[in-house]
Amino acid sequence: MKKGTAIFLLGLLLAIAAFSGFYYIETAPWRAMMREPQPELAWLKKQFNLSDTEFTRVSQLHDAYLPGCQERCRRISELNARLQQLLAQTTTMTPEIQGLLAERARVRADCEAEMLQHFLEVSRTMPPEQGRRYLAWVQQQSSLLGQGMEQRHQMGSHGHMMDHSHM
Amino acid sequence: MKPNQTPEGGDSLRQVLRQWTVDTPLPPRFQEQVWQRIARSETQPALSLWASLSRWVEVLLPRPKFAFTYMALLLVLGVAAGSLAAQARARHLDADLSLRYVQSLDPYRADALNP
Repeated sequence: MKKGTAIFLLGLLLAIAAFSGFYYIETAPWRAMMREPQPELAWLKKQFNLSDTEFTRVSQLHDAYLPGCQERCRRISELNARLQQLLAQTTTMTPEIQGLLAERARVRADCEAEMLQHFLEVSRTMPPEQGRRYLAWVQQQSSLLGQGMEQRHQMGSHGHMMDHSHM
Repeated sequence: MKPNQTPEGGDSLRQVLRQWTVDTPLPPRFQEQVWQRIARSETQPALSLWASLSRWVEVLLPRPKFAFTYMALLLVLGVAAGSLAAQARARHLDADLSLRYVQSLDPYRADALNP
């Protein structure tokens, strides 16, 4: 092989090695996080600079919250199934349907209250500044502020804001 | 003025040229060869690019100054590209994990799993 060609190929190999090395080094913390049993909690620890003690407490709160959340979801699904059955049998509003809607709304409200309670507990576990940051972030990201449904309701079928002053 | 450039000389030259006939035949496939030479001259830019790259690799690159610059440039490019790619991947994972955290707590955000 000629000297020039050898230098040319060596340069390309050097560039590939530099690319791979930097990519490997800079993504190492993320790969380690993904190997954790609960990567989303490992992410929370990194994102909000939690100490090991704080992280253990947050993980305990997380694990304690989930069974109740799953139970409420199961209850809402059950109510949805009953509501579907009733709606298939009638074309008018019955007291039973009204009761089911009220019951489902109550469970949903419980669900949101428990979720907010959990967020507040987690924020108190963190250092004050991080706790405030966590609370502001999680309120924006979760459905607590009701963005999803209300935003959809405000949009017309073509994606335009409906003018409620004419309704 | 030279003697053969007189009007009389020009007239006699023109007369000779009018009487001159070419008896020698054209070489075989003369026209085809002319067109081939035209086609070759039109593809010259691509060849010259390859030739200049080849010249750069074989003549300039072995010089220590060029070799050092070339290596340093590719090293910097590799580092920069690797770093940018890693940052993009980190941003993607960051967004993914934050969504997973919220979805693990908020059943009403679970629909974001199937957008």
